[in-house]
Amino acid sequence: MQVTLSKRINELLVLAVLDQGPAHGYQIALAVEEQTGGSFSFQHGTLYPILHRLEADGRLRAEWHGTGRRRKTYEITGAGRAELAAGAAELEVQFRALLGLLRGCHAA
Amino acid sequence: MPRENPLAPVERELRVAPRHRLDLVNEVDADVLALQAELERRGYGPAEARRAAVARLVPGGRVIRQLEDRHRPLLGRRVLASGWMDRAVAVGAGAAAAFAGVVAVVATASPGGAGMTAAIRWLLVFVAALMAANLGRAAARLWVQGDLRQEERQLLWARQTGLIVAAVAAGALGAAWEGYPVPGTSVGAGGPAFVPQSAVWEAIGSVAGVAVVGLAVAVFGLFGWLLVTPRLITDEECERRIDDFFAQSRPRLTPDSTKAQSHAQ
Repeated sequence: MQVTLSKRINELLVLAVLDQGPAHGYQIALAVEEQTGGSFSFQHGTLYPILHRLEADGRLRAEWHGTGRRRKTYEITGAGRAELAAGAAELEVQFRALLGLLRGCHAA
Repeated sequence: MPRENPLAPVERELRVAPRHRLDLVNEVDADVLALQAELERRGYGPAEARRAAVARLVPGGRVIRQLEDRHRPLLGRRVLASGWMDRAVAVGAGAAAAFAGVVAVVATASPGGAGMTAAIRWLLVFVAALMAANLGRAAARLWVQGDLRQEERQLLWARQTGLIVAAVAAGALGAAWEGYPVPGTSVGAGGPAFVPQSAVWEAIGSVAGVAVVGLAVAVFGLFGWLLVTPRLITDEECERRIDDFFAQSRPRLTPDSTKAQSHAQ
């Protein structure tokens, strides 16, 4: 299955935040926004399908806490860390190529 | 009039199993409250913080579709992903038709298949086909789409109960119709009330034949019902908890700070 670039970036952003430690969904959304200087943000609940997909694929682990009002905490797994490293390297190559092309056009 | 929880329309629109809907409303609601509290700590006004938290975290239409894809039952995902939905419906319709055909063969092959009794047997075939269609539709909604809402469940119960009662009643009517002429015939012959043993057995066979078809159709309907009941009981329980959730949750512009802080840790 082909994954679109934006989907891939969103997944890696989530994995990168969780690599810093377990977090709730809203904390992930805030951290992504803050740590990218507002360049990336999750709106209209776009975060949840990503979290649930990563959880289903075993790249995240989720745990419910509390009895009455339950809260869900996410934690990165070994598979998630491996995915993060591979994805970051892959994106670096892709963006270098992209920027090389764009700068070349600009210079010309 | 109190304002509706922003998650209520999401819950209504989201067509996934109730347990996934329950988990989602719990997760998003807790996150919205905690984010609202966090934004208030950073200087937002309560209403502004609430709006910002809702805008970031409450799923919109496109996200709802993505969540449906994510939480659709495995069977449903495979069927839809491979473009088998139409074929699955065709297979279901074929299975229902095949079952009705088997009942029709049994009905016509059994003795006494003429007149009123034959009409009753065909009625039973029709009832069996309706039962298969009713259960097939419910099963497709539960295990392909994943969601069968309360109104649809009630309709399923009402239809299935009606069809089971109709099958038993039709079977009993057919059996009574088959059984009634036997003593009349012997008396009408003018002799003493003597009926040859073979005629008695034939009459019993005819009565039993119709009654058994009626009962078989009723049992089919009952077993189909029993098959989906455990899943429906689980769904009912989850929907009750969803109702409790929305009954307890009121629009909160200033959430309980203790809870919000413990969540933020």
